Amino acid sequence: MSLRSVALPVAVVVATAAPAPAGDVIKAVRRAPSPASAPAWREGEVIVGLRSDADERASERVLRAGGAARARRARMGGRYLVTLEPGTSVTEAVARFRAMPEVAYAEPNGFVRKSQAQTFTPNDEFFEFQWNMRQVGAERTWAIQRGSSSVGVAVLDTGVAYEDYVDPVTGRAYARAPDWGDVTFLRGFDFVNGDTHANDDEWHGTHVASTIAQAANNRIGVAGLAHQCAIMPVKVLDEFGSGTFFDVAEGIDYAANYAEGDERPVKVINMSLGTDAFSETVRSAVEGAHANGVVIVAAAGNTGGDGVEFPASLPDVIAVGALDGRKQRASYSTTGPELDLMGPGGDCDRDDDDDGLVDCVFQQMPDPDFVVEGRYDVFCVCGLDGTSMASPHVAAAAALLVAQGITDPDAVRAALEQTAERLGGAPEDGRNDTYGHGLIRPAAGLSGLGFNQGPVR
Amino acid sequence: MSSRIARRLVLAALVAAGPAASAGELGIEGHGGYFSMTAENSANAVFESKGGATFGGAVRYAFGNGIFVAAGLRLFSKEGERVFVATPSGPVARLGHPLTVEVNPYFLTAGYRLGQGRLVVPYAGAGVTLASYKEESEVAGERYEESFTKTGFHALAGVEVGRGLVRFGGEAAWSTVPDAIGLGGVTDVYGEDDIGGWTFLGKIVLTFGGASKPGAP
Repeated sequence: MSLRSVALPVAVVVATAAPAPAGDVIKAVRRAPSPASAPAWREGEVIVGLRSDADERASERVLRAGGAARARRARMGGRYLVTLEPGTSVTEAVARFRAMPEVAYAEPNGFVRKSQAQTFTPNDEFFEFQWNMRQVGAERTWAIQRGSSSVGVAVLDTGVAYEDYVDPVTGRAYARAPDWGDVTFLRGFDFVNGDTHANDDEWHGTHVASTIAQAANNRIGVAGLAHQCAIMPVKVLDEFGSGTFFDVAEGIDYAANYAEGDERPVKVINMSLGTDAFSETVRSAVEGAHANGVVIVAAAGNTGGDGVEFPASLPDVIAVGALDGRKQRASYSTTGPELDLMGPGGDCDRDDDDDGLVDCVFQQMPDPDFVVEGRYDVFCVCGLDGTSMASPHVAAAAALLVAQGITDPDAVRAALEQTAERLGGAPEDGRNDTYGHGLIRPAAGLSGLGFNQGPVR
Repeated sequence: MSSRIARRLVLAALVAAGPAASAGELGIEGHGGYFSMTAENSANAVFESKGGATFGGAVRYAFGNGIFVAAGLRLFSKEGERVFVATPSGPVARLGHPLTVEVNPYFLTAGYRLGQGRLVVPYAGAGVTLASYKEESEVAGERYEESFTKTGFHALAGVEVGRGLVRFGGEAAWSTVPDAIGLGGVTDVYGEDDIGGWTFLGKIVLTFGGASKPGAP
């Protein structure tokens, strides 16, 4: 019995990452001002505090000598707001004042802003089209945690476009996708072809891995949710998106037992794959990985009906369903009592945020138009939908929790479930079969509990 | 009966009658000690300890017959961090977000001082506690605050040593302020709802008034 990929490969070519053959390119139309470019102080003004023994005549002399055109004394205390002569540099005036023995201190008249929760908005070119990241509160999440290279996520899939490599057997030339940045790739394995080069001869695995760890804030492409975590490419699905129980179990065992010195860096396994059959081989491997402290996440399935697919249906696996851009269950997303959480899986037939682009999940991947011609070195920022796309959001969130300090896999699962946004009328402390415990909220999970304060809302 | 025996009997009766009656005595107390929280599992999770230092003071008035009343305030503040714990038996994951808890009880006590005017005066009492609770934490610039007051009870026992203006003492007090916490956070996980606990104090007391007749030991 073979496993099949659960992705619905509705490839919508919307942009090309470098290198760029001819094609449509999306341009961002709204850009927020960079915080680094905002002025730090009011030009032409300096605050000067004089020593208590400086009389009024001495004060006036000092202020004029420092470059003051006029000065306003504070209502309380011996400090002055000095307006400098035109053309006088604030930094030079501050230095001049500080050198005077009558001056206790001098500083620019800096700005303050209202206190509010920090967020991190990456400057990736097409981030504005990542409705999926906004749906899970990624900007607030990234202000708390962006991942760590010591936390690895194994992607059991069709492979990942992580290296430039020419296969000596097939002659296929694989290329590293252009938007990985400094992502760490752990040594993976190709269980389909039996070698150590788990390259992607389709596109599904690269898209999934990119949702987890595509580079952020590098002005190109889009961003991954846990973009500072490491990725382990594990190829268990072939070029048609199919695999076997044996290879999947091998992949799970490999990832869960992989060691570098005394460390086992793989903390999360993502499986965007499924079947309606059961395998004791895979179940046993999952049980072993869980006992090794690994969080296992899998796609619930794209049947649209009841019956979470295997291996997501296993008790040690977090089963993930898909939401569309309206935060409603995607029509294809499978339901059932084993359903745990929801992530953004998208719907390529809808544009609910009215940005002119269908609501797929857009990440970098090998361009399907070139893959069908046997080329694996051309990439696009392409959209797919499916529970395959939802699952890596949860895997990434799990990796962030591990990076923050929640290392026990059952605790990670509990943190994700307890802080999820309840949907479809689910009780506050419960779940339902349509949405599970609800939509993941990584920022709430990362915030933890207070003494008497519950999870943040 | 011989007069010698009679004199000895009278002297014995006088001694057995205890110290001579004293006038009322005002005491101003300074306290310092350790507060151990009843919610110890939650405290261990968040603070990595069951309690911490506490400071405060009180004003007490001891009537000539040994009865006393006291009113005071103690301050307890502890810094820790937000954590995640899924079950009471599960591991505690410390998340690095700073958190501060303050428990400041106001207390009104009535009790009895045995041997008022003596060098060593043991005492015991009980009373009402009005506990002020405040919790603050911060996660990446977002502040979370909670505060309330809750009523409870306390009982205490201690001993004062000394005569004259300055005296020293030690005291153990147990307080209970139930149904105060436990609806969220780690206290919900551990099922702990009481912000009281045990307090062990050292005291310095400035006393005014309370002159006693000679003969008291």
